[in-house]
Amino acid sequence: MADGNGRTESASADPTELWRNWLTETERQVNGFFNEVMGTDAFSRVAGNYMDGYSVMQRSLNQGMERYLNTFNLPTHSDIVELGDRLGSIEERLTTIEGNLRTVSEKAGVDPAASVTQLKPKRTRRPKSQKKNSSS
Amino acid sequence: MATTRQPYTKQFVDAAQSQIDRNRERAKKGLEILLAREEPAVGMTPKDVIYSRGTLRLYHYRPWTDEVYRVPIVLVMSLVSKPWILDLTTGQSFVQHLLQQGFDVFMVDWGVPRPEDKNLRIEDYVDDLMPRCFEEVQKATGEEEYTILGYCMGGQLALMYGGINPDAPIKNLICAATPVDMEGMGLFKTWTDQRYFDLDRLVDSVGNIPPDLMLRSFEMLRPSDRWFSYVRLLDNLWDPMFVMGYRIMYKWTNEQIPFPGETYRQYVRELMWENKLMNGTLDVAGKRVDLKAIKFPVFNAVAEHDHIAPYAATRPLTSLVGSDDTEDVTLKGGHVSLVAGKNAIGRLWPRVAEWLGERSV
Repeated sequence: MADGNGRTESASADPTELWRNWLTETERQVNGFFNEVMGTDAFSRVAGNYMDGYSVMQRSLNQGMERYLNTFNLPTHSDIVELGDRLGSIEERLTTIEGNLRTVSEKAGVDPAASVTQLKPKRTRRPKSQKKNSSS
Repeated sequence: MATTRQPYTKQFVDAAQSQIDRNRERAKKGLEILLAREEPAVGMTPKDVIYSRGTLRLYHYRPWTDEVYRVPIVLVMSLVSKPWILDLTTGQSFVQHLLQQGFDVFMVDWGVPRPEDKNLRIEDYVDDLMPRCFEEVQKATGEEEYTILGYCMGGQLALMYGGINPDAPIKNLICAATPVDMEGMGLFKTWTDQRYFDLDRLVDSVGNIPPDLMLRSFEMLRPSDRWFSYVRLLDNLWDPMFVMGYRIMYKWTNEQIPFPGETYRQYVRELMWENKLMNGTLDVAGKRVDLKAIKFPVFNAVAEHDHIAPYAATRPLTSLVGSDDTEDVTLKGGHVSLVAGKNAIGRLWPRVAEWLGERSV
């Protein structure tokens, strides 16, 4: 779109537009550069070594912390995981009981979904294209 | 002369005034963000939990219309991130769009894995939890058939489920940003190179893969994004819609969740290294994932500039299934903008609703 003096609309519209375009382009180039570096075999090797170091450190930290907490008679990570496991199995048993209760309620003719939405819309909706076809 | 200069003077004054207004708004919004204690409300569409087990929750969204399509739709989410990406705020929620269009919507939210979930394997999700959820959907709706919509890894889980249960009453499958050819996974593939990456040592040491490690690896795909996003935020601080969108996406990106350890081990070994889903050699729970046995309609939405699940990894999906009724939709944009935001609202959502409507009666 050009105005009466032959200037384009984009040139006169927003002076910060150039800066925004530069920002987008710079971002693309920076990402492109790093992606190229990180896509090399050498980077994979370095990343692999880092992950090895991370794993070793994590393991020693866990073991050290476990010993420390045991010394002070405090619950350790494994104790909490074990508790979580036991809670999980209680939850599962509750779910089973709930399921059984639902079956019994259904057999007794009681609506088991009292807390769940009671909205039961008709399941007869058709797409517009098929409505047109059926009306014609 | 005065008559020709006047418009430019006015233009300059208007531009200056606009910049002053924007700077005032920038300062105000900047302070609001810095002092904000309340996080943006997301995933607020009214729903009921109709089944739960461990961290899993199966939601049934309350219908918005008096008449819905016969076939319910079940959204199967990824194990990698929070599920509310499909249910952002009003006007930006895919779930709400589906409800508005008259669909009966369910969602499988895997929750945040706990340390004791480190032993969960792919088969626990695909051959135990998913079928259990579908049973509940069938009970709740009284309908035998259901449609599955899987986003990212959720799509892979759905494909695996369909591949080992060719007789399951799946009416349709919609996959969005779902990688199948792991050779196309770009940097993820390089970083997990078997020669340098000691998978067993990592999983044995950490149990579940820590969220921080997951977040950093996603960020490394586009290392400068975070910093440039701050600059863009500063530039757009005057715009309430931009700020809201930024805060929501910032929350979603940073609310990374742990990845179950054994599933990660299996995922990297069997999918990333051996590309078994693509090659047709993947077994789940002792059953072969036979994608050629998938005969129901399949819709595959992929993003051209997806840096997490690259185009090369997501594109071949429909060529792997045995269905005659397939549709590929390639949209500009990235992994998230495919399903959320302006791009999705204007392009993907209407396409999905239209395609699905025809096949949900």
